[in-house]
Amino acid sequence: MAAVTVKLFGTLRLDSGVKVFTAEADRVRDLYPAILAEIRRRKPESRLTEKELHSCLAAVNGQQANLRTKLRDGDEVYFFPAVAGG
Amino acid sequence: MTNYCGYMGKVQMLDLGTRRVSDYVWTDVARERYIGGKAMASKILYDNLTGKETPFGEDNLIVIATGPLTGTGAPSSNRFDISSLSPLTGITSSSNCGGNFGHYLKKAGLDALIIRGKCDELTWLEIGNGVFIFHPADELRGMKTGETQTALAEKLKEAHGKPVNCGMVVIGPAGENLVRYASVISGERAAGRAGMGAVFGSKNLKGIVAYGNAIPTIYDKEKTAAHNKKWVQAIRKHPLTGEQLPRMGTAGLVSSMQVHGLLSTRNYAKGQFEHFEAVSGEALAEDLNISNNGCLSCPIRCSRRVPVDGKNVKGPELETLGLLGGNIENADLEKICRWNYELDELGMDTISTAGTVAWAMEANEKGLWDNGLAFGQTEKLSQVFEDIAHRRGIGAELAEGSKRLSEKYGGTEFAIQSKGMELAAYEPRRAVGQGLGYAVANRGGCHLNGGYLVVLEGLGLNVNGQTPQGKADLCMVMQDLMETISMGGQCLFTSYGVVPGFLLRRPNGVITKTVNAAVPFVGPVVRILNRFPEIACFKLPLLPYPYELEYTTGMKMNIGKFIRCGERSYNVERAVNARFGVSAANDKLPKRLTDIPQDPKNPRTRVPLEQMKKTYYRARGWEKNGLPSEKKLRSLGIF
Repeated sequence: MAAVTVKLFGTLRLDSGVKVFTAEADRVRDLYPAILAEIRRRKPESRLTEKELHSCLAAVNGQQANLRTKLRDGDEVYFFPAVAGG
Repeated sequence: MTNYCGYMGKVQMLDLGTRRVSDYVWTDVARERYIGGKAMASKILYDNLTGKETPFGEDNLIVIATGPLTGTGAPSSNRFDISSLSPLTGITSSSNCGGNFGHYLKKAGLDALIIRGKCDELTWLEIGNGVFIFHPADELRGMKTGETQTALAEKLKEAHGKPVNCGMVVIGPAGENLVRYASVISGERAAGRAGMGAVFGSKNLKGIVAYGNAIPTIYDKEKTAAHNKKWVQAIRKHPLTGEQLPRMGTAGLVSSMQVHGLLSTRNYAKGQFEHFEAVSGEALAEDLNISNNGCLSCPIRCSRRVPVDGKNVKGPELETLGLLGGNIENADLEKICRWNYELDELGMDTISTAGTVAWAMEANEKGLWDNGLAFGQTEKLSQVFEDIAHRRGIGAELAEGSKRLSEKYGGTEFAIQSKGMELAAYEPRRAVGQGLGYAVANRGGCHLNGGYLVVLEGLGLNVNGQTPQGKADLCMVMQDLMETISMGGQCLFTSYGVVPGFLLRRPNGVITKTVNAAVPFVGPVVRILNRFPEIACFKLPLLPYPYELEYTTGMKMNIGKFIRCGERSYNVERAVNARFGVSAANDKLPKRLTDIPQDPKNPRTRVPLEQMKKTYYRARGWEKNGLPSEKKLRSLGIF
């Protein structure tokens, strides 16, 4: 698995207070559990689900990515809620 | 007089030289064709400008126009428009503002005010219940816009013995000193673009105050109230107008633009800024935003309040964040908030100021003009802005804008302007439809007058931003839509609601992906609808504007008529500009955007402008020279 830095944007970040954390995953979509765990650690009352994360847009190292994009060590992964504009 | 509700039924022309006020004939047929606002102003300019006038000449006109919805309580309907020959572009231009002046101009009994001539001395004008009073403004000379408005309110209070509820438009030192991109300020909102403040300055007009007791009537109060209630609910439920804009303002687009390569950086050399997070909407919301604010009758409330020197002031918009952020390689958000405030106080357009400064930084770097400015070195910028407003030192030259400077010193290929107007913060090489819009826009490098296709090419939907397929037709229809929304007096942000919310909430869903793939192929359908709008002799809830106009004014309206009004407006503005020499040759972008790929490894990352322009002119039914023929104008009822 690749060790990556995850950054949240838009209302995903404003609602949860989570800006950045590190995680390990093979692909973008494999980061869902780590994102949910980080958000719940910071905000236990969060009701965010994997399904909602699936509606997010992702970028890897500043470039648009899809949820199946493979990750490498040191990658920076951005997650945007759909309402931030796709 | 008018048989339609929503209007005050009066348009007046004021000659500043003779101080004579006369009624201007504006019939109900004209109201049906041009509705109001910008379109109405364009027709007035069409009827009065011959092509021989100059922006600073006494024969130039200023038209301040409201729409029938202004002041009626319709959602986001507090806009008014200032149109004139622009000192920045030399052609007609308009500047839209969310300040409360339009509302109070209608209270004073006017739908529009046309100003010609020139005052002998610096003057401020009072319009109260239809009475015009001229006041000397010499003691206001050099005052900034906030101070000026405070002083005018005080003078009015003294004269009336009590505070007067009123709307104001004023200029700052930049307007007085004829900075070509000086703005007009109403409250804290700016009619920022195209140098309308300099036209005020050239006429020795420091400001106008309007007040009165008139109230526009509503044709069908019950239907209007019910429709407004539903519309406001829809706005509040929509992901862009109900979530993103209230939570982060337009600044919320910065991060998304970064990922799409759309964020103007280093004078548009790049589309991504390494330190974008520092100047993003998220940073603004987390670190500096005190509260949200909005124009009168607006449920969106996209404006930010931020602290500057202990004051609670209007925060920067996306354009300002992009152009005074990455575009000059500045990552200090507090500085941008400060500059935004200072520029409004000086009465200067933040977009053109920032675009001109970015050009000057690059010109200095390339050895074309030794001006002391450099990317990333921003310590002295507040002083530079003051110098521009007072035309001191290099400020005297910067006050001319990037087009004139590049023609003098060289560097036209990286002067990021079209028709003399500096572009907004959207880098168009990853959104080529937006690039086409910038180039063909009647008023110059304006993202909104250009159709704002970037909302389809990444910032709302995710239509392929590199393909020219379908973009010309979409550009046309979006431009016409913007025109018509503006005519009524409403904010263009209400148009986000036209994009169904579920498409934005489910960007990875099958339906959204299908729509994204299909949009470039809708061109022929759009063109047929545009050619034969009478097909659309109905209204649809997805497009609430025709309902609003009909219920408020009593004017029969449907989608077809609505579209036709937008097309007529775009054509009449083009026809005026043709008199001032505009043709296809002026619909251009700097070589940086058309010839140099943003990504050197991907030759498609540039704007294929010439190819799209031809399709665009065909779609509009214009000649190859990019102008509407007499026959075309007649077919639209433009005489």
